[in-house]
Parts: sequence; C-alpha cells; structure tokens
Amino acid sequence: MQFDSFTFVVFFAAVLCVYNALRGWSARKWFLLIASWVFYAAWNPLFLPLLIGSATLDFWIARRIHASARPVARKRWIVATLLINLGVLGLFKYHAFLLDNFAALLALAGVHYVPAQFDIVLPIGISFYTFHSLSYCLDIYRGKFEPTRNWRDYALYVAFFPQLVAGPITRFTQMREQIETPRRTTRESLGLGCALLVLGLFEKCVLADTVFAPVADGFFNAVGSASAAAAWSGTLAFSGQIFCDFAGYSTCAIGAALALGFQLPINFRYPYAAAGFADFWRRWHISLSTWLRDYLYVSLGGNRRGAWRTYVNLMLTMLIGGLWHGAAWTFVIWGGLHGLYLAAERFARERLLPANWQAPAPLRFGYGLLTLLLVTLTWIWFRAPDAATAWQAFGRLLPAAGGSALDTTQMFAVVGFVLVAAVHWLMRERELMTWQRRLPAPVLGIVLGLMLALIVLSPGDNHAFIYFQF
Amino acid sequence: MVICAGVEAHWRASGYRPNILDSRQLWAQQRERVDRGPGTALALLGASRTEFGIDPQRLRERLPKYRPVMLAVDAHYPLATLRDLAADEDFRGVVLCDLDAVGYLRTFWDMQQPYVDYFHKQWTPSWNLHRHLLTDWQRIAVIANPAFGWKASLTHALDGGQPFHDYIRYYANRSGDIDYRQTDPESTKRHFAQTMEGSIAHLPPHDPQRWLVDLAPMHAWIAAIDARGGSVIFYSSPVDGLQREALQRVFPREQYWDRLVAAFPEAHFLDALDVPALSRFDLPDDSHMDYRDKPAYTDALAAMLLERGWLSR
Repeated sequence: MQFDSFTFVVFFAAVLCVYNALRGWSARKWFLLIASWVFYAAWNPLFLPLLIGSATLDFWIARRIHASARPVARKRWIVATLLINLGVLGLFKYHAFLLDNFAALLALAGVHYVPAQFDIVLPIGISFYTFHSLSYCLDIYRGKFEPTRNWRDYALYVAFFPQLVAGPITRFTQMREQIETPRRTTRESLGLGCALLVLGLFEKCVLADTVFAPVADGFFNAVGSASAAAAWSGTLAFSGQIFCDFAGYSTCAIGAALALGFQLPINFRYPYAAAGFADFWRRWHISLSTWLRDYLYVSLGGNRRGAWRTYVNLMLTMLIGGLWHGAAWTFVIWGGLHGLYLAAERFARERLLPANWQAPAPLRFGYGLLTLLLVTLTWIWFRAPDAATAWQAFGRLLPAAGGSALDTTQMFAVVGFVLVAAVHWLMRERELMTWQRRLPAPVLGIVLGLMLALIVLSPGDNHAFIYFQF
Repeated sequence: MVICAGVEAHWRASGYRPNILDSRQLWAQQRERVDRGPGTALALLGASRTEFGIDPQRLRERLPKYRPVMLAVDAHYPLATLRDLAADEDFRGVVLCDLDAVGYLRTFWDMQQPYVDYFHKQWTPSWNLHRHLLTDWQRIAVIANPAFGWKASLTHALDGGQPFHDYIRYYANRSGDIDYRQTDPESTKRHFAQTMEGSIAHLPPHDPQRWLVDLAPMHAWIAAIDARGGSVIFYSSPVDGLQREALQRVFPREQYWDRLVAAFPEAHFLDALDVPALSRFDLPDDSHMDYRDKPAYTDALAAMLLERGWLSR
C-alpha cells in the first residue's frame, strides 16, 4: 500500500492504536514485524516468502560468518551471501537486460539468438531490502559488531514497513539500539511524525503528482514534437518531480517511523543547493550514496591507490549506482555522467586549485547553479525510456526546436521548480526537524493546515512513487 | 479543513455536483466480480454506448439468474477484455460484446489491454479497499474530482474559464447516465459532420476479407468460453443519422457484419437495427441515448435476449 492511499491511513491508524496498546516490548516488536509483513503483502503476497526467506538466510549466514574463526571460511560465507543476494536481485531485475544485451553481442558476431521472454514481476523493494541485508553481513564480516541473536529483531530491521519498499537504506547500527530498547509513541514523536507525514504527502501529492508530473510526462511522452519551451519546462519539471516524489516518500517514511518512536536517517539534505557534485551526493539519496561509498567504493580501494585509480573507482561506483536504479543503459549513462562529474571535480580540486582553497560565496553560488543545471540536464537520461529519446530530448532544448510560450501548467512547473530550488538554498545548512521545533505552534499549525488542505485539493490518479520501480 | 469546506461550498454554489470518476481501479473492482458472486456472470463489454445505454441494475432485475458486470470502457473497443475472459479459467458466464465493425479491426484490439494488465499485475486487496473509500469520498465531495483541485481552479482563474459542467452522472457499478437536457447534442452532431471525412481517412487500411481473416483468433476465445458452460453474444447497438450513414458507407453491412455472422456460427449475433424494439429509441447525438430512455432500452434488450433463448429467466 502507498502512503498516499486511504488504505494506508486506515492501516497506520490501526497500527498506532494496537502498537501502543500492547504492554510488553517483545509483543510490540512482534506486532510491528507482522504489520510490516502485511504492509508488504498488500503489494503482492506471493513475494512475502521471498522477503522472509532472504532475511532468514542472511540472519543465519551472518551468524556463520561471526562464528568462523578462519578468514577463508568467513570469506566463503560472505561470498555466498553476496552471490545469493545479488543473484536473486539479478534474476528478478536484470534477467531481461542481460539476455537482451547478450543477444545483441551475439548478433555483432553474426549469431542470431532470440532470448526467451520470462514474465517475471519485480518484487517491490527488493533493491532496498537486499542492500539492508548485505550491509548487515558485510559489517559483520568486517568485524564491526556482533550479529544479533534474535531472529525477530533482525527480521524487523529488514522489514520495518516505513522504510521497506523505498528506503532510507538503514544500517543495522542505526536501528539496533532502537530495536533492542523499549519505546512507544510519545506526544512529541506523534506530533513531529504526523507533521513529517503531512510534509511528505505535500511533496508527493501536491508538488510531484499535481505540479510537476503532468508537465514532465507531457514532454517525455511526445519528445519528437516538443517545442523548446516544452523541453525546458518538462526537464525542469522532472527534476522537481523526482526530488519531491522521492524525498516525499522518505519524509513520510521518517514521519511514520517517528510516530512509532523510531528514528530513521535523513535521506535528502536540500540537494538542489549543492555546490559541486561531491556535495550533491552528500545531499541526494544519502543512504544509497553512503552505502555505495562504504561497501563498493571503499572495497574497490577508494582513494587509497593513487589518483587515477581513485577516478576509476569513482566511475565504477557511479556506473553501478546507475545500474542499481534500473536495468537499462540510460541509467548506466546517468550514473556514468555523475561519475565523470565527480572525477573531473576531484581532478580540478587536486590538480588545478590551490590546496585548502575556499571559494568566495559568489563563486560558490555560481558553481551551485552550474551543478543544478548539469544535474537537471542529466536527469533526462534517467527519465527517457531509451537512449534515442534522450538524445532527441536534448535536441529539443535548443532554440532551433521552435518556440511557443509556456502555457499555464508549464509555468506552474517552472515556478514550482524555482521555488523548490530557492527553499533548498535557504535551508541548505539547516536541519528541518530542529527548525520545525523552533516554529511557534500556531505558525506550524497554519503551515501544516495549508499543506493538508492542498493535499486534499490534489485528487488524481495514484501515481506510484518513482523509486518503487527500483 | 475550513479551506476545503469553503472550496466545496463554492463549487456547489456554482452548480457543480459530486460525481464518481471511472478509473482502472474501478474497472478492476468490476472485473473481480466477474469471477465471483451469486448467479451467472453477464459481462457487458463495449464502449460508451454500452456504458451509458445499459443499466446493469435494471438488467439484474429483468434477468435474476444473472450478475451483470459493466466492463465497457468509454472510447475503448473491448476485444482485449473478451480475450482476457476467454483465458480466464474461472469465468463461466455470458459475454455480451457490443461493438461496431470498426471495433473489430486488428488495430483496435488492445485498447482495453491497459485495464486488463492493471487488473492482473497491480490490483490487490489493498487497492480494492482504497478504491472503495475513494468512491465514497467521490460520492460526497465535489473536491474529490481533479477538475476542482487547487491547480485546476487556479488555472481556470488565470485563464478566465470555468470547469466543464459534466452532463454524465457516473455510478460505482461503472454505468453512467447522459442527461441531454444539460448539453447541446446538435453541436456533437455538427462536430461529427465536420470531422467525419478526416476520421474516416485516418482509419487503418481495411478490406472485408482481411478484416474477417484477422478475426480468426476469436474462434478460440469463443470456444474457450463455451467449453466452460458460457456463451458469447456479439451485439451492435443502435446508431442513427450521419453516424449510421458513415458506418454503412465505410463498412457496408453485407460485406462485414453479415460475413462475420456467417463465419462464427458458434456465437450469437444481434444487430439492434434489425429489432424495432431496440432501434426505436431517440439518439440525441446519433450515438448515445438519454438516461431517461435507459430503463426501457435495457428492458427491450433483456426481452430480446430471452426471446432468442440466449439467456434464461
């Protein structure tokens, strides 16, 4: 079930009531675990055994890793879990992509091969809970902590419904103490949690679905005939949509967890105010970028093997990060471009600029605008259904594509995007929850009331959250 | 909530009323009823003439053995749904499939496929509950309609317009009532007259032989439904005026419909134009009837299906 559905309202109200009515912490955890399974089964009950099975297997493998004294044995177990987890992910998510590209390669060699078509439905959230499990096993392999002895606690860490299907990707270290320590809903946590739910739904329903999506879809569904105005407004609209959609989900997830007494990590920190691409990736999908940094970039050697190897590692990490988003070359290109930006930025910082040089504020702002422009243009690769459409979309941005003035909905989208970026710049060094706590209650009430009114006044088709497809 | 109540009051004062909105979810709710419930399923397939011409509730009263389910979709020809029902091992009912000769063209077979795909790949009990609650909300609130949302309202205010005054009342069972007192059907007729030749020119290439050959897979669909104790009735609902002339000119009955009937003896065929009791109704825009005629038309259709022995009481 989606956060922006009536079903979730009913579900969450019931969960809050029962969760807080139960006496013992163990009982509340069992209830949360079962509620999380119900939440997941609401998407497709057939995939619930996969979730439970995956979590159980990794719980057991992690204990084997910890119990193995010999490095060889520990390595065998970690390789096993990597192969199993990534194999399952590969089967569900990448089988068609791999088969089609294999067929294309064979075709280059003159071999005609038509791969079988398997109608395999992608289990929702598999990319996210696979990364949860892998981070747990990898941290145990690295000796960071001892595995939990309690299967239910581990299963709850993997399946906790607020973050199950689209993150934030949490580490066990972020959740362990919270899971092991009794907690319940408090007045403050409920108030703050509900406020974040309202904010998240505002971002999703009002901004992403109502303001940005129609303009983005209008452009990307008819790229060939789009004017330059439609191209630019559509591109800006998609940049606004993907942020508001994904950040909206994360905000809802954090709010729902907070209402239950749990704190999930922040996943977005005003990324459209980033000054540079390293800064952007410290602000965008933080849980994924840190996961890739800690488990992929560092494992490849990070920046410990010389400058050129660092650039290669950056590229590889971002290419794989792109592929994680979807089984298509457009996602790989998107990731590769960000890898290029990061490598170029690092090169400039290390080779062209004086050591410890701090750019003056106007230059930082200018670089921020450049970052925003490049990030926005790179989103075209993320949104376009294929490479040909992406190239075509870039072509429509040029003035030669012909002009027409922006219509009202396109104007809304452009203004909306400018406002989103402006808010990011205003808030770039601030923490939302701290700022929210400081607001006088009547002011906060009015703001949230307005947001709630706009949510109610934004009916429409339930657009799936974009990151559900990953 | 004061804001929402105020906006609701404003639109009601302007003459707008709540209305249920069709969607893939609403269609999926009905699609689910095809496989379960009392009586024999009577799947009503077609497009707008079916949705706004047949009253499922009235049909149920006239044919108590049957469970009418509205699967017609406005502006979408229904053969994808017929194909889906043929493949559905749990479907053991009767199909009343209403479409004109254009709808049988291969190009239009997949028009309802997105609805079918949604039902099979995304429909869950969770969305079912959501849609029930959403239907209740749409029943009572004008602001449940995106046409009256904040963005549409602002757009109208800036453009100097007003939301469209809908003359179709929609129900949770997916049937709808057209009230021609609230609109000008003559303008629809004029628009059709002006655009007719262009529309005809844009039709896919067709010749009667190719048209019939392309329909060969239908034999298997009909056989699958028959084998499970069901049956298929192909129906052509009435049209009038310029629409009738155009249809006869581009798809002459003797070359298309009559050949279809001869080629598919395993199915039943009914052309409303052959039955005065069905073709006597006024069609204000030459294609659809006013809701006040729906009960009588539904009764006449039920009576005809009983008279021919294709359904029983």
